[in-house]
Amino acid sequence: MKKNIIAMLLAGGVGSRLNILARKRAKPAIPFGGIYRIIDFTLSNIANSGIEVVGVLTQYKPQSLMEHLEDGRPWDLYGRTRNVEVLPPKTGEEISDWYRGTSDAVYQNFGFIEDYLPEQVLIVSGDHIYNMNYQQLREFHQAHRADATVCLVRVPEDETRHFGIAITAPDGRIADWEEKPSQPKSNLASMGVYLFNREILAWALALAAKKGGYDFAKDVIPIILKQKRIFGYEFNGYWRDVGTLDAYWNANMDLIRTGSGLDIENWHVKTNMADRGEIGDRPSTYFSRVARVRNSLISRGCIIEGSVENSILSPGVRVGKKTLIRDSIIFHDTSISDQVRLNRVIIDKDAVIAEGAQIGVGESLPNETYPGHLSTGLTIIGKTVRIPPRCRIGTNTIIKPNTDLARKKLRDIPPGTTV
Amino acid sequence: MNRTLALVLAAGQVDELLTLTERRPKSAVPVFGIYRAIDFVLSNLMHSGITNVGVLSQFRPYSLLRHIGSGEHWDFIGRSRTLNVLPPYRGQKESDWYKGTADAIYQNISYIESFNPDNVLICSADHIYHMDYRPLIKSHMENKAEVTACFTKVISKSRRFGYGVIEKNHKVTEYIEKPEKPPTNLASMTVYLFKTSTLIDLLKTNAKENSHEFGRDLLPVLVKNKTLYGYKFRDPWYYARTVKSYYNAHMALLGRKFDLGSWQVRTNLIERNEKGDRVPTRITGDVSNSVVSEGCVINGQVMNSVLSPGVIVEKGAIVQDSIIFHDSFIQSDAFIKQAICDKDVFIGENVEIGRVGSNVISKEYGELLEDGFTLIGKNIKIPARTRIGANSVIFSTARSIADEIPPGSTLK
Repeated sequence: MKKNIIAMLLAGGVGSRLNILARKRAKPAIPFGGIYRIIDFTLSNIANSGIEVVGVLTQYKPQSLMEHLEDGRPWDLYGRTRNVEVLPPKTGEEISDWYRGTSDAVYQNFGFIEDYLPEQVLIVSGDHIYNMNYQQLREFHQAHRADATVCLVRVPEDETRHFGIAITAPDGRIADWEEKPSQPKSNLASMGVYLFNREILAWALALAAKKGGYDFAKDVIPIILKQKRIFGYEFNGYWRDVGTLDAYWNANMDLIRTGSGLDIENWHVKTNMADRGEIGDRPSTYFSRVARVRNSLISRGCIIEGSVENSILSPGVRVGKKTLIRDSIIFHDTSISDQVRLNRVIIDKDAVIAEGAQIGVGESLPNETYPGHLSTGLTIIGKTVRIPPRCRIGTNTIIKPNTDLARKKLRDIPPGTTV
Repeated sequence: MNRTLALVLAAGQVDELLTLTERRPKSAVPVFGIYRAIDFVLSNLMHSGITNVGVLSQFRPYSLLRHIGSGEHWDFIGRSRTLNVLPPYRGQKESDWYKGTADAIYQNISYIESFNPDNVLICSADHIYHMDYRPLIKSHMENKAEVTACFTKVISKSRRFGYGVIEKNHKVTEYIEKPEKPPTNLASMTVYLFKTSTLIDLLKTNAKENSHEFGRDLLPVLVKNKTLYGYKFRDPWYYARTVKSYYNAHMALLGRKFDLGSWQVRTNLIERNEKGDRVPTRITGDVSNSVVSEGCVINGQVMNSVLSPGVIVEKGAIVQDSIIFHDSFIQSDAFIKQAICDKDVFIGENVEIGRVGSNVISKEYGELLEDGFTLIGKNIKIPARTRIGANSVIFSTARSIADEIPPGSTLK
C-alpha cells in the first residue's frame, strides 16, 4: 500500500531519570495529565496531522505500552488503510537482535517502511509533550526541497547541554550541528523530530551502520549534514522533554497553569480509555458538601471529600475528609484517607495513604541515593505503597513500589531518604 | 443448568418526561451524568450471568440503537452471548405496531422459541436499580412457580403502580393496577419471570383480547388462577417515568454517593459519536454535593447537581439542585435552580431560571410540572438576562424566547 508519508515512533526509552515511575513501564507509557499516557501526545499529533501509518519501535518493558496502543483504534489509526504496528526487536539472523540505538531501530525495520513506499519518513519520539501539526513541517520540507528537516525549538542557554544544537543559515539550512555542547553557538535545540526523504534515510542509515553508528543525533544527522540538503524547522509552540522528574511534574502542572501554551482541549489529545484492562466507564466524580477544589484536573470515578489545590488526579482517586492535597499528581485508584497533607507529591497507582499522614514535609535536602533525580522538593511514592497512619515523610524522598511502611514500622522518614 | 432469556421492554411511548423524551425513547434518557436509563437493566442482566437479551423498541429508537450497538459494552457479544434489538415488523396480517407490553412479546414468540429457554425474564428499560436476578430465578424454581412478579416497597403509594398482596408462601393473592387506594405498599416493579410454555400460552390467549398489558390484563388472570408468585426486592429502586421521579432518582443517587461505583453500571462511552476520552474535569470554582463528569469546566458554583460530560459553568454562575446534560454552556452570572437542561443548551449571561414561581402549576401539564422544576429542551439558546419562572418547559422546537417567561409557561 502506497503512502505519501509514514511515521516511525521511537518508544524504547528507558527513562531511568524518572526513577520508580519508569520501573515497570516504558517512559512513553507513564501516566500524564490524569487520563493520558505520555505517548498519547505524539500519537495524537500523528493522527491529527492525517498520517495514517505508524511503526512503534519498542524495546524496554513494552507490555503496558502495547496494551495501551491496542490496535490503534483510540487514535483512529485502525482500518483498511490505517495501521499502528508495534515493532519490537527481532531475533536477528546474524549478530545482534537488540536495538543498539535510535537509528538502528529504524534501520532494522526498514522493510516495514518500504512496504508503504512513502516519499517521506517522519521520525518522532514517544516521550515528549507537545501539540504539533506535522503537515506544516512537511510543507516546509517540500518548499525547501530538503533531503532532511530537523525540528528545532529554542531552549534556555543552560539547557543546551542536554540537546543536539543546530546552527542555521538565514535560508533555514543547517550549517552546523553540535551534540550536547557545553559552549553552544545557538539555542536552537533538536526536538528529536525529523523528516527524511525515504531514499536519503535509507542511504544515511546504511552508511551510519557501516561506520558503527546507531544514533540519529550523533551519527545520522552529521552524515546528511556533510553531503545533503538539511534544513531546520523552528517550532514555536509548546514542547517539553519530560525526561526528568522535575520536567515531568512541571509539564503536568502546565495543564493547569493559565497561558502555559499546553492545550489538550483544542488539540484533542486522544487516549485509550481501556485503562487497567477495563473500559473506563467509571461513574462520574462525586464532590461532597465539604469538598474544596481549586485549579485542578479531576478524572472520572474519584470521590472528593477534602481539599485539592493545583493538582492532577487520575481516575478512581479517593480524597478523605479534612485532607489537603497541594501541587501533587495522583495516579489511578490511589486512596488517600482523612486528615492527610500532601505537598508536591507524585503518587503512583493503587497506593494507600492512611489517616493523618503528612508527605512532602521538612527542609529540601537532595535525595541521598539519587541526588541527580530528586532535589527540588518533590516526593515520589511508588505503586501500591502503603503509608501508615500519622506517618511523616520528608521531601525529596522516594518510596519504592510495593513498600509497606507499616510493616517496616517506619513512621518518620527524614527528607532525602530512599526506602 | 437453567436457561433464562431476558426481554427488555424499551418501547414506552409515554411523554410524561416532556422535552426530555421529545426525540428519544425513555430508555435512552441520560441518567446520572454518563449513563442512559437502559444501562441499569442491561448491567443487571450482565452481572446476573444472563447471556441472551432481546430489547423491544419501537419509539424514536435511533439514539437507543446507537447506544446499544452490538451489545459489546455489556459483554453480550460472543459465541453464546447475544443482544438483539427487536423492532416491530410488518406482519402478514394487519397490524405492525406493538399494541402493548404483552403484544410486543407476543409478536416475538418465534424469537423466544429460537432460544428454547426454560424461563423468560421480562423487565423494563426505564428503572434505576441494582438487582441480581439469580435469587429471583432460584426462588421461582424453588416455588415451582409458573410466573413470579417482583415487588418493591414504595413510600408514596403513587397511583401509577400496580399493587400486590403476597402471602407467606410467596403466593400473590391480590393484585390491583393503578388503584385509588392501594391495599399494600408493595408495588410491582414490572419485572416478571415466566416459565416459557406458560408465557406463550398466556400470550396466545391474550392476543384474542382487546387489551395487551402485562399488569392490567395478564397478572389479574394469574392471581385468579392462584398461579402468581411474588418476589420481594429489598434494595433501592427508582423509576424515571415523570419529571419528579426522574429528578428524585438523581437526588437519591447523589445521597448514596458511594453506591454507584459498587453497582458496576456499564455504559457505552461512545457518546456523541466520540469515544469518551474527554479531558478530566477542570475546576477553579466551587463544587459541593454534586457529581461532575469529565470534560466539564467549572469556574462558577455548582451545588446539589448532576452534570453530564462537557458542561461549562462560567465565573459567577450558580447551578443548584439541577441536572445538566452534555455540553451545555452556562455563561457568567447566570442563576439556575431546579432545572433540567437537555444537551447543548446555551444559557446566556445573567439569565435566571427557577428563581420565582415554584408554587405556580404548569398551565398545560398540571401535576406533571408542579414541584418547581424547569425543563429546557435540546439546543435551546436562552439569551442574556432572560428570566424564566419555575414549572416552565421550553421544548426544543421553541422559536423565540421572550425576556420574561412567567412561571408555569410552555414554549413549543
